[in-house]
Amino acid sequence: MAWAVVGLAVLPACDFGSKKATAKAVGTSLSPSQEELLAEVVDTIIPATDTPGAKELNVHSFVQQMVTDCYEPKVQENLVKGLDTVEELADKSFSKSFGACTGEERIEVLRKMENAKEEEQKEFYSLVKGLTVRGYMNSEYVMTNLVKYEAIPGHYYGCVPVNEKSLS
Amino acid sequence: MANFAIDAVKDMTYDAIVIGSGISGGWAAKELTEKGLKTLVLERGKDVRHIKDYPTTSMNPWEFPHRGQLPFQVKQQNPIVSKCYAFYEGTEHFFVKDAEHPYVQEKPFDWIRGYQVGGKSLLWARQTQRWSDFDFEGPARDGFAVDWPIRYKDLAPWYSYVEKFAGISGNKDGIPQLPDGEFLPAHEMNCVESHFQAQVAKKYKDRQVIMGRCAHITKPQPIHLEQGRAQCQHRTICERGCPFGGYFSSNASTLPWAAKTGNMTLRPDSVVHSIIYDEQKGKATGVRVIDANTKEELEFYARIIFVNAAALNTNLILLNSTSNRFQQGLGNDNGLMGKYVAFHNYRARISADYDGDLDSTTDGRRPNSPYIPRFRNVHKQETDFLRGYAAGFNANRKSHADQSGLGGDLKASLLNPKLGGWSVGSHMMGETIPKESNYVALDKSKKDAFGMPQLKISMDYDENDEKMVKDYFEQMTEMFTHAGFTNIRTSDSKQAPGLDIHEMGGVRMGKDPKTSLLNEWNQLHACKNVFVTDGACMTSTATQNPSLTYMALTARAVDHAVSEMKKMNL
Repeated sequence: MAWAVVGLAVLPACDFGSKKATAKAVGTSLSPSQEELLAEVVDTIIPATDTPGAKELNVHSFVQQMVTDCYEPKVQENLVKGLDTVEELADKSFSKSFGACTGEERIEVLRKMENAKEEEQKEFYSLVKGLTVRGYMNSEYVMTNLVKYEAIPGHYYGCVPVNEKSLS
Repeated sequence: MANFAIDAVKDMTYDAIVIGSGISGGWAAKELTEKGLKTLVLERGKDVRHIKDYPTTSMNPWEFPHRGQLPFQVKQQNPIVSKCYAFYEGTEHFFVKDAEHPYVQEKPFDWIRGYQVGGKSLLWARQTQRWSDFDFEGPARDGFAVDWPIRYKDLAPWYSYVEKFAGISGNKDGIPQLPDGEFLPAHEMNCVESHFQAQVAKKYKDRQVIMGRCAHITKPQPIHLEQGRAQCQHRTICERGCPFGGYFSSNASTLPWAAKTGNMTLRPDSVVHSIIYDEQKGKATGVRVIDANTKEELEFYARIIFVNAAALNTNLILLNSTSNRFQQGLGNDNGLMGKYVAFHNYRARISADYDGDLDSTTDGRRPNSPYIPRFRNVHKQETDFLRGYAAGFNANRKSHADQSGLGGDLKASLLNPKLGGWSVGSHMMGETIPKESNYVALDKSKKDAFGMPQLKISMDYDENDEKMVKDYFEQMTEMFTHAGFTNIRTSDSKQAPGLDIHEMGGVRMGKDPKTSLLNEWNQLHACKNVFVTDGACMTSTATQNPSLTYMALTARAVDHAVSEMKKMNL
């Protein structure tokens, strides 16, 4: 093997510092109770019916990981803040914790945030809802049991009558 | 000790060296080794073995921690490569990160690179159209750049040669400006695409909508099975690497083929510093390499050298190959090396809706889309801008779920999406005119991590490009309107050059050594045993996706090189 013969010359030392520079992610560390609350929120957005809801499919962990890894610190802070607001609104409207609210009451709390004057509440709502839908629709359970997911279609048919196509 | 030194040089000596293992380097490797030459293939990046090193190829959507999205930090640290459509959680390991190989943007240029065995052949869009004489004769007819030293007849047999091996699907459309090739069965158009095709044919004698010609195996032939490749399975996640070898890449096709001859030595992690020129012999004798892991400098020797480092890096290596004889770069007697670089203008898009054909939809997925060959200024100059543009086109119909609800309502809606109407879209692929003012050069002060000078890139659009964008919008709007499409929207991304990933030129071919760097066989005029057959050799850009032409030029150049070696001319 030709490259066994080495050592003709070593180039001058270079700056490799930039290549190795890595910063640590800020991280969204939710307390156990905040995490539980997030699970209740995602399960309110997509509840269990005759099929599992978002909480059972662990969508809250996905939401948390996405916010930690894929969003800027401002959004991470707003997740924590928004969860506090969820509890405040539940307490103000129904004098109980979000977890103790009925399904309808919980939806009312989230609707209040959706329609709030405060941008931060609206942003929390659309962020958590958007990620919940994404995490749910892309979960293994939904993709393999509830929708038509073709990893390997093996074909493309250009003109198929609509009535013959199984609509996901 | 003397014997040891001789043996050492012998161990570092091959018949041929290929710099780069991407689409053209892979072809050089295949052709040279098949013709019996002991060939060293140098690749600056890591090894990527077919199938084994495609870590995401079989991953399902839920197996990606971020479902495809890239972490904030990755995007923040990589503003350039993050602009590329194919850069996502499933492919990021195949792209060069911004800090890995810095360069100087004298003008904005998004340089998208893939440093690994296979290069960007793993990532390409796989569109493969032949050039015609309307392209090769373009510079001479329209008075820009220099005349190409070759014509279609010189390349036609080589197009056929590479098409049969690579596997190209398409229809024989009989269009003079887009010659037919050796095609596997074409992909299907959907109803709305066929409708557009018919409407355009009815209104315009000189405009066609055809199915794209692409490097996908729609019906494997014995030559493909022999490569270990199978029929494309329509997964449309090609950029992760295809375990079926359904599309053409160096990794699936040319490199394993070259390895099978027993004549190839593939050396990844080998950054080429420069080409060694021997003044006594009057030719290149080898290359200097920096081992990417140990940073040691090594020298390898060969009778001929193919430079296939990708267009701009080929410029960089040659400009950095200085000697007493060639003080401004190997073969650069006229000082034109690095100049007359060009690209494709991909700024313009147009989209619309269509209310017809609502009783039909599509099934499965297609790794391809229809194509509109250039129709402007083909037979004669007819507009106030030079040359023209090709265009991609496609129609699709998606299902939509109402997401306004919450709770059980939302869940029910998500699981029962409604089929929407048809959407249609097109993007422009404009020819840009190579100019002396568009150039790359070595930066005098800045070096990269390997001590190599950084490349300074200075490319920009001009008035001709602006006029062409305007014409594309006007003509496509007219064609869309005629086809009954509604809600027509145009958008000009104003994206910087580079994001098209079709940068070309700098070491152009030509007839005259005073005005070009390479002759009609892709040999440096002033150093005949060095061949350049990647994008750097391009005299003009035409409108076609260029890879197929690089493949054909490479196979042709190797054939010439080996016959010259046999005649002892090289």
